[in-house]
Parts: sequence; C-alpha cells; structure tokens
Amino acid sequence: MTPPAVAAPVSSAAELAPAVREALGSLILTLADNKRILGIRYSDWMLGAPTIEAGIAASSMAQDEWGHGRLTYSLLSEFGSDPAHLEHERSPGEYHSMQALDEAFTSWTEFTAASLLLDTALSLQYGVLLDSRYVPVHNRVQKLLDEESYHFQHAAAWTRRLAAAPEVRGAFEAALARYLPAALRWFGPPGGEQSGVLEAAGVVHAGPEALRAHYLAQIGPVLAEAGLAETAGIRLGADDFWEYTPELQWEGWRDSTRRAGGDGPNEETIRRVRGDKNRALLLD
Amino acid sequence: MKEPVYEVFARKTRDQPLHHIGFLNAMGDDLARVYAWKTYDEQNWFEMCVVRRTALLPVNQTESHYADRVPEQTGKVVHAVGAASYGGSEVSGEEVPE
Repeated sequence: MTPPAVAAPVSSAAELAPAVREALGSLILTLADNKRILGIRYSDWMLGAPTIEAGIAASSMAQDEWGHGRLTYSLLSEFGSDPAHLEHERSPGEYHSMQALDEAFTSWTEFTAASLLLDTALSLQYGVLLDSRYVPVHNRVQKLLDEESYHFQHAAAWTRRLAAAPEVRGAFEAALARYLPAALRWFGPPGGEQSGVLEAAGVVHAGPEALRAHYLAQIGPVLAEAGLAETAGIRLGADDFWEYTPELQWEGWRDSTRRAGGDGPNEETIRRVRGDKNRALLLD
Repeated sequence: MKEPVYEVFARKTRDQPLHHIGFLNAMGDDLARVYAWKTYDEQNWFEMCVVRRTALLPVNQTESHYADRVPEQTGKVVHAVGAASYGGSEVSGEEVPE
C-alpha cells in the first residue's frame, strides 16, 4: 500500500490555499479570543480565592492566558488581520469565545470546573497544531502547553478537594454538568467543514471526534477518581475508551465562531478586555 | 481542614545546590507543587522541589521549640510546624466560596 502523501511544511500563511488559510485564520482567532476571555475570568479570582496560594495561582494563570492570547493574536497579521484592531477595537458580538465564558464565574466551584473542562479543551485544540504544516505555530504552542500542564494539575487537585467537601459538592457537580457538554461541543460537529479542510490539508492532525476522545481520556480519570464521572455523564466504555453518554446538541451551531448563538461576552467584560479605561494611554 | 506548611527549594543551574527560597500552605503534595511553581516563578529555575516542613528531621535543635516529638513513633523528632523563624504555619483552610 502506498503511504499517504505528507504535505510539505509552510513557513507563511500565504503559501496555504485560500480555503485552508481562511479556516486556519478562523481557528487561530477562536483560540486567541478564548485565551483572552478565560484570562479575564481567571483574573476575577486573584482576590477571593479560598487561600492566598490559590489566589496567586489564579493570578498566574490569568497572566498565562493573556500571554497565550497575545502570542496567538500576533499570528493573525499573516492572515490579513491587524492584531491591534482585534485586541482593542471589536464589539462583543465579534468575539469567537465559547458561550460558556460569556458570563463570569460566580464561585470557586465554577472556576475549578471551567479550568478543568474548558481550559483543557483549549489546550488539546492547540496541541493539534504542534506538528502542523504551518510551522510558525510550533514554538508558541510548545511553550503554551508546558504552562498549561500546571493549570491542569491545579484544576485536578481542586477537583479532588471540592468533590470531598459535602458543602460544595452539589454546586461543583452543577458546574461540571454545565461546562462539560459545552466543552465537548466546542470541538465541533463530526464532519465539520472547517476542521475537515484543516485536517485534509495537514494543518491539524486530528478532527473533532479524535479530539473529543483525547479530551475524555484526559478528564475522565480525574472525574472518576473524585467519584464525579457518573453524574457528569461519562464512563469508561468498551476497549477502555471514555464515553460521554448524553447526546450533544448542535442546533444553531456555527462552525466559523464555534458558538450556537448568544451575544458574546457582556459589554463590561469587553471593555476590560479592550482596555477602554486607559485607551488614551495606548501607544502605537 | 488544616493546610500544612511546605518548604520550597530551588536552584538556577545544574551545578548549583538547592537553596531554600520560601514556604507555602497547601492541602496536599499535588497543590503544593503547583503553588510553588506559580508563587516562586521569579527565576527560570532549573529545578524546584517542595517538602512538608514536618518531613524535615532536626539534627541539632532536637530539644528546642523548632522540634516536635511524634507521639505515634517513639523517639521520632520532626521539625515543628509553626516554629520557623522566617514564618509560616499550618493554617485552617478557609471555606470554599460557593
């Protein structure tokens, strides 16, 4: 059997076919927007976390997310976009962040659930760019994933703690139930157009179904160890594959933004994201 | 819930010894590792380690307030939890905000 042709590496977006370039630009913008909004959500808990150390971790994680966002936005200059415009001049409806991040976390249980479920989804989606044909993403993604490993350890440790605290276990289960389907859906529908274009072009090495399987394999053991897998709707199925048993809903789904509606993050969030308060000090 | 004190050690390069750089409170080893890395990230450390303060075995200060006898283990002496002159003590974990 003849092995499949290996697509040649490309060092600039201009070398990609227009449809591939458009799909990759859209993916990169989605990743950058999620990093930026997640950073804001983490930053809300610099003060008010259960311990000083947890607050410092939240602060550091917020910095990480904003750094990742900045690095990711900067890639888009090759895709016909102005990173400064993307970072400082868009309205809420133009953001491609997850609907699950539209509202702030109202509790440490939501913080932890989002960190375990949403942040991990982002990391896995970045991970499929690690050996992309599009070479400029490589070194940025590796650094990012190194930092994200601590986010996952932090979330996993707090998952064990919250599961063992009867006072908050119910609230934590509710947060997991809200974020888990959102994270699984965020990878996109089977046979999605955007992911299909990118996978066929060798720009990503895994599509939505493979990513969902990797994702469940990463979070499944953490939830199972904490006794939370069953209520979250996941189980270790045949052949040692983790499964999410409820059916994912795709009504209203838009591949281009990876959202199924909503108006985007609220206006106050976007004012903070854009830096409106100190706009006069923004230097070229 | 008590959150034990951990001592943090690090070195900048392979040829340096570990230095004590601080302490923190964490509910377990897994969070202690993360908190140490996130709290003491002012350097590009080659290696960082954490150890529970009570895992330190006093050598000369075995009869001082820096040392505690372990009731369950006859004769065993460990570093006292809250007696480091540079600070740190076991703390009660705060309620997790709902």
